[in-house]
Amino acid sequence: MPNEQLTSRERRRERLDRGIKVRTEGLYALSSWKEMFYLLAPRIVLILGLLVAPFLLDMYWQRVLCAAGIYALLALSFDFLAAYVGLVCLGGSFFIGSGAYISGLLNAKMGWAPFLTIPIATVVGAIVSTLVLLPCLRLRGIYFAITSFMFPLLTVNVIIALNIFGGTEGISALATYPNPWVDQYLILSVVIVSLFTLRRLVNEDMGLILRSIKDNDQAVKASGISILSYKIKAVFIASLIGCFGGAYLSHLYGWVGISQFSLDFSILPIAATVMGGMGTLVGPVIGALILTPLSEALRGFGQLRVVLYCLILIGFIVYKPEGLMNYLQRKYHQFEHWEDV
Amino acid sequence: MLEVKDLMVFYENAIAINNINLTCRQGGVTGIFGANSAGKSTLMYTISGIILDVKKKEEMKGGERITVLGRISFEGVDITHMKPSERAKKGIVLCPERRRIFPESSTLENLKIGGYLATKAQAKETMDYVFTIFPQLKNLKKREGGFLSGGEQQMLAIGRALMAQPKLLLLDEPLLGLSPLMEAMLARAIHEINLQTKITILISEQYARPILPIVHYGYVLENGGAVLEGTSRELMENPDVKSAYFGL
Repeated sequence: MPNEQLTSRERRRERLDRGIKVRTEGLYALSSWKEMFYLLAPRIVLILGLLVAPFLLDMYWQRVLCAAGIYALLALSFDFLAAYVGLVCLGGSFFIGSGAYISGLLNAKMGWAPFLTIPIATVVGAIVSTLVLLPCLRLRGIYFAITSFMFPLLTVNVIIALNIFGGTEGISALATYPNPWVDQYLILSVVIVSLFTLRRLVNEDMGLILRSIKDNDQAVKASGISILSYKIKAVFIASLIGCFGGAYLSHLYGWVGISQFSLDFSILPIAATVMGGMGTLVGPVIGALILTPLSEALRGFGQLRVVLYCLILIGFIVYKPEGLMNYLQRKYHQFEHWEDV
Repeated sequence: MLEVKDLMVFYENAIAINNINLTCRQGGVTGIFGANSAGKSTLMYTISGIILDVKKKEEMKGGERITVLGRISFEGVDITHMKPSERAKKGIVLCPERRRIFPESSTLENLKIGGYLATKAQAKETMDYVFTIFPQLKNLKKREGGFLSGGEQQMLAIGRALMAQPKLLLLDEPLLGLSPLMEAMLARAIHEINLQTKITILISEQYARPILPIVHYGYVLENGGAVLEGTSRELMENPDVKSAYFGL
C-alpha cells in the first residue's frame, strides 16, 4: 500500500455481519441447533416474556398490562399503515371507539355474550372504519393524517349532539370476563398472533405491493395494479386489529363511553412506534409495553408526569430516531471493529 | 488553490473514493471523468462538504456509516472538517447533480436565493452577468423553476451557483440529460464564465466529448480511484480515453 506512514495512523470503524447471521439466512438455518437457536432466541424471549408476565404482576399491574396490550395493538396497526403503506393514520381512537361501541351495543341491547360480540364488533367495526376512511384513501401524507384525525372528534360530537348510544353517559353494566386470567391471555395472545401474522404478511407478495405503494404509487399503477383496492385491504387489516382492541376494552371495563374516542388512543401508539422503531412491527409492541406502564408509574408525579413523558419522547426523537428495535437488531446481527485503512 | 490529498470515502464497507489526490489550479478548469459509480458525485459532495451533512443524517437514523479520510485544503487552509455552509462562505459553491433548483420559486427568486451570501451590489452585477451569458433566462424571469425545460433549469442552476460569488465552482454533471445542441451551448457558456470571471471551475462529467476541449487538466476515475490524469491534450490522445469516452 502506498504512503505507509500516513495510512497506518488512519482507522475506521468497520461493521460486519456476524458469521452466524450470514449462515442462517435461508434454509441453511435448519442445519444446526445453534443456528436455530440464534434465529429463534429473540422470538422465544418475546413470546415467553409476554406469557409469563401475568404471573409476576399484582392485580393493579395486571390491569396495566391489559391496557398496554390494547396500546400495543394500536401501535401495531399504526406502524403497519405508516411504514408499509404510507398512510399515516392519526385516527387510532376511531378504531377503538367503533369496536367498543358496537360490542357494547350488542351486549347491552341484544344481551349477547362477549365471545360473540367481540368477533362481530371486530369485523363490523373494521368494515365501518374502512368505509369511513374510504373517501380519504386517495389522499397522501399529511392530508390523510389530518382527515383521519378528524373522524374521532366528529363521532364524539355526533354522539353528544344526537344523544344516541347513551350520550355523554355511555353504556354501562356490560358483561365482563369471567376472571383476570382470561382478560390477560386473551389480549396477549391476540397481540402475539397479530404481530407474527403481520410480519408474515408484509414479507409476502401483498406486503411487497404495499411497500411499493408507499415508495412510488405511480409506478405501481403503471404495473397494472389497483392501488386503491390494496389500500382498502391494508386499512381493513389495520382496523381489524384496532377494533378488536376496542371491543376487548369495552368488556374489560364493562363500560363504553365517549372517552374511548379520546386522543390518548391516537397519540400514545405513535409515541410507542417512534420509541420502538418505525417499520419493525415488533418495535411498536415493545414501545407500547414500555410506555404504558411508564406513564402509570409516573402517575405519582401528578402534572409533571406529562413533562417527563415528553422529555423521554423528545430524547428518543433527537438522539435515537431509528428507535429501540432497529438499534437492538443491529447490535444482535452485526459487530464492529477498528480497521486500519 | 484546492488540494485534495489521500482522500478516501467509505459508505459502510464499500469504498467509494480510493486514495485520490487532486489539485485545482487557480483560474483553471479541471475535469473529472468517469462512468456511473466511479465516484464523481461522492467526490463533489466531499469537496463541497455536503457529505458531512449526509453522514450526520445517516448516523441519526442508524443507517450507513460514512467515513471520510484524508485532507482537503482550500487556499492553504485545511477545510476537511468544515461545515458545508462555512465552505460556501469561503467560496466553494456546488451546482448539484440533477440541478435541484427550487421548483416552486420563479427564476428570479431562484437567483436571489443563490445571492444570499453576496452584497447587494455584487448580487445585482452577477444577476446582470447571468442574463448576459444565458439570455434565454431573460424571458423566463417570472416562470416557476419547475416549469422550465431541462436545459433552462441547468442554466438557472449554474446562474444560481454564480450568484453565491464562488471562487471555486463545482459543477456536478452539468450536461446530464441534455440534447447535443444544449450540451455544446452550455460547454461554451462554462468556458466563457471561466475566461471572463476567472472563477476556478471543477467539473465532473460522464460524457467527455463536449467538456474535454474546455478543460485544462483532467482526471479519469474508475471504481473510486484516479486511473489517469493529464492535460486536455494528453487525455484526448490517450488510446484508452479515446476508446472509452469517444468511442473511437
